[in-house]
Amino acid sequence: MATEITLDQLRAKALQAGLALDDEELQKLLPGVNRARDQVAELRQFLSDATEPAATFTALTVDKV
Amino acid sequence: MTTNDLYYLTITEAAAGLRRRDFSPVELTKACLARIEAIDGKLHSFITLTADRAFKQARAVERELHSGNDHGPLHGIPIALKDLYATKGIRTTCHSAVLENWTPDRDATAVTKLQEAGAILLGKLGMHEFAFGGPSVDAPFPAVRNPWNTAHIPGGSSSGSGAALAAGLCYGALGSDTGGSIRTPSSHCGIVGIKPTYGRVSRFGVVPLSWSLDHAGPMARSVEDCAILLQAIAGYDAKDPASANIAVPDFRAGLRVGIKGLRVGVPRVHWFDESKGTDPETEAVFDNALKTLESLGAVILDIDGKPFSIARKANQTILVCEAYAYHEKTLQTTPMKFGSSVRRRMLEGAFLGAADYITAQRARSVLNEQIRANFSRVDVFAVPGAARPPEAFEKMDPNEQNLRPNFTNPFNLTGLPAISVPCGFTSANLPVGLQIVAQPFEETTCFRVAYAYEQATEWHKRRPPI
Repeated sequence: MATEITLDQLRAKALQAGLALDDEELQKLLPGVNRARDQVAELRQFLSDATEPAATFTALTVDKV
Repeated sequence: MTTNDLYYLTITEAAAGLRRRDFSPVELTKACLARIEAIDGKLHSFITLTADRAFKQARAVERELHSGNDHGPLHGIPIALKDLYATKGIRTTCHSAVLENWTPDRDATAVTKLQEAGAILLGKLGMHEFAFGGPSVDAPFPAVRNPWNTAHIPGGSSSGSGAALAAGLCYGALGSDTGGSIRTPSSHCGIVGIKPTYGRVSRFGVVPLSWSLDHAGPMARSVEDCAILLQAIAGYDAKDPASANIAVPDFRAGLRVGIKGLRVGVPRVHWFDESKGTDPETEAVFDNALKTLESLGAVILDIDGKPFSIARKANQTILVCEAYAYHEKTLQTTPMKFGSSVRRRMLEGAFLGAADYITAQRARSVLNEQIRANFSRVDVFAVPGAARPPEAFEKMDPNEQNLRPNFTNPFNLTGLPAISVPCGFTSANLPVGLQIVAQPFEETTCFRVAYAYEQATEWHKRRPPI
């Protein structure tokens, strides 16, 4: 589980992101945001240092397969 | 033939009738428009009707057909498009107030290809707003309803495509699928829909939800009709960076080969019972479908469902991050133009960081490898099209969907081709779908298995009581 974020933290992050959301809207968002953070925490558990992301840059333009 | 005899024809049947001159493209168009006029007030499957344009097109293709200029099985067939396919000169709304008055100046590649194949455009179909969230109750257009029971959702996000086909309002439709948006409404409406391999169909001109997960694909009332539609829209397109430069096979060539000896992997363990689990009635219908596949010569094998179960988490993380990135400016400036459901889902992406997104893309590498490793033991995977039947609007709970296994997300994450075909009904007479998943660019295998199943059963012949 990820550390739960609070309404105050969410409000601060929203401001940083340039989002004008009132407390009622932020309160409704909070459970979904915490669930999304928990999901990422679960994914982290089974990655090794060697795992690269699925999308990688290639310097050559080749025919895509 | 009366119009009543026409609107439930398959594309295959209609194409044959047109060539026998049993009826004309104009008569097919009239039949669909009359049916829309009669019942779409209850379903709301269409946002925009293009009746005048459809009749003009119908007359033009009729002349072409009669002069021997035959473009193939879609020539003269009325179809409709999910309202996120850009259509030149025709409003394209994504079921949202954000794009309520947007009229594109070009067509999506798939739309151009359908026109070249001679298909007649009836109009643009309702959907979940921007293909995300749930049925839009606060969007500028009403939510689409399920023809099998209008108190129930049709599934989404290609809700209008599913409902219109099930109700006989068009002969084929295009949908799009980022987490199940073709297969879920196909399953919930008792029709056929295929999410092709990532890269098989151009996404150019399809309004994005999540670039690395979005798939464009067809929906229809039969497996063969889906193959015909995919044939028309598949192929390399330099305008889509994800388009695959790979040969397009004849999707109908192997339909009748059968499935004797085919190894079907069922990832039941660690997946079907996840959290609140699969609806028991749905699972019973699915098990009966497996028995039918076995009776046709397939061999059913258990495979580990754990990586499939985890895939939902990676899929949803990537989806909300990419969706937020695409809509960021509008969410910052005019957030209330979005309906509440889609707005709150997209905003989740604002509160995840770059490392979170990359973690999900790293997990995607691992899960893709683990899921595809199963193809050394089996030829296809089989799972239900959805974990539960379509729920009633009044009982809709957006959190509930996270408490059931998600049988569609893993195949967006892996890009594997997946088809949903009708496989039965619940005691409340609501449809259930069987999903067949094959190796990359093996849509022919999806079609072969789904066709064998379809021909051995009668589910696809049932019509909703509307």
